[in-house]
Amino acid sequence: MAGAARVRAPDSSTGNVIRDSALGIVPQTLAHYLPLNAAIWDDGPLNAAEIEIARLRNAQQVGCVLCKAVRYDIAIEAGLHEDKVQMIGGEFELSALTPREKLIIAFTDQYLNNPGVPALQLRRQLQAEFTPQELLHLSLVVAYFNGFSRCAVALGGMPDEMPRTEISVPR
Amino acid sequence: MSWIAPGDDRQALMNQLPGIGDRFEGLYAALWHLPQVPAATLELCRLRLAQLHRSEGDWLLEEVRVPAEQRSQLRQWPDSPHFDAPERACLALTEVHAIDAGAITDDHADAVKHHFGEVGLVALLQALGVFDGMIRLGLVWGLADSPGQSR
Repeated sequence: MAGAARVRAPDSSTGNVIRDSALGIVPQTLAHYLPLNAAIWDDGPLNAAEIEIARLRNAQQVGCVLCKAVRYDIAIEAGLHEDKVQMIGGEFELSALTPREKLIIAFTDQYLNNPGVPALQLRRQLQAEFTPQELLHLSLVVAYFNGFSRCAVALGGMPDEMPRTEISVPR
Repeated sequence: MSWIAPGDDRQALMNQLPGIGDRFEGLYAALWHLPQVPAATLELCRLRLAQLHRSEGDWLLEEVRVPAEQRSQLRQWPDSPHFDAPERACLALTEVHAIDAGAITDDHADAVKHHFGEVGLVALLQALGVFDGMIRLGLVWGLADSPGQSR
């Protein structure tokens, strides 16, 4: 059963899921989170579907119910439909995901489970498939969403389950 | 040299992703000026994360000066007289956060809130997420010995 939230969210309903969450009570960081969040989606070389694969894999690994339930509309528009989302789970290597999509998951798992330089084979696969800028973008995508989801879990009050919820990128 | 892109330190790699890397660095820099939690307390938490991740470079980095006794006894903080109650509350939460954020208990959170309030708890959790991210990035990029040379 879900516990109580450890922090009260602000009394605002701006429609911005970051501003209206508990993160919104620290104005000094909110001023940085909002433009960083938008930049993660808009300013890097990976497309929204690729970002969403890494985000959802992180959500599964951290066990963030909220993060797992969310679907970003721009990722769906970029081709990440629900049948593909279902392949991001444990048996992803045997799934119909493309080799590039599987490498996104493999890199995410490396970051989360064994932070260190990847083994030579994975390193070569990543370097063959992605540009240096794409790998840097993927790194910061995982770092950003991992910190975000850990914070969400630690703040408590997470329900045991949530329905799939489509949202736009908060800006 | 990192395997992921040309560059010897975190700053050099972040600079290659303008718009994102600089904003990530901007968030990190802002953490050292938060009014909710003392920067020296956050530095102790960052250093403890560096120890837990075995990141020598992040351990050697000094973002904020802390007393030499605290640095030398950080691994033994539960038994050391050099850490006060607010620092202990933050370090206890840091250690659990590093392993599994879902394992943080109400007692951990209440201890931090007792000293820094709800806003302090949120600020600390945000800081831990960014610190953990910076350390992991250095390790995955292969910068473990020199993650922050240019700072």
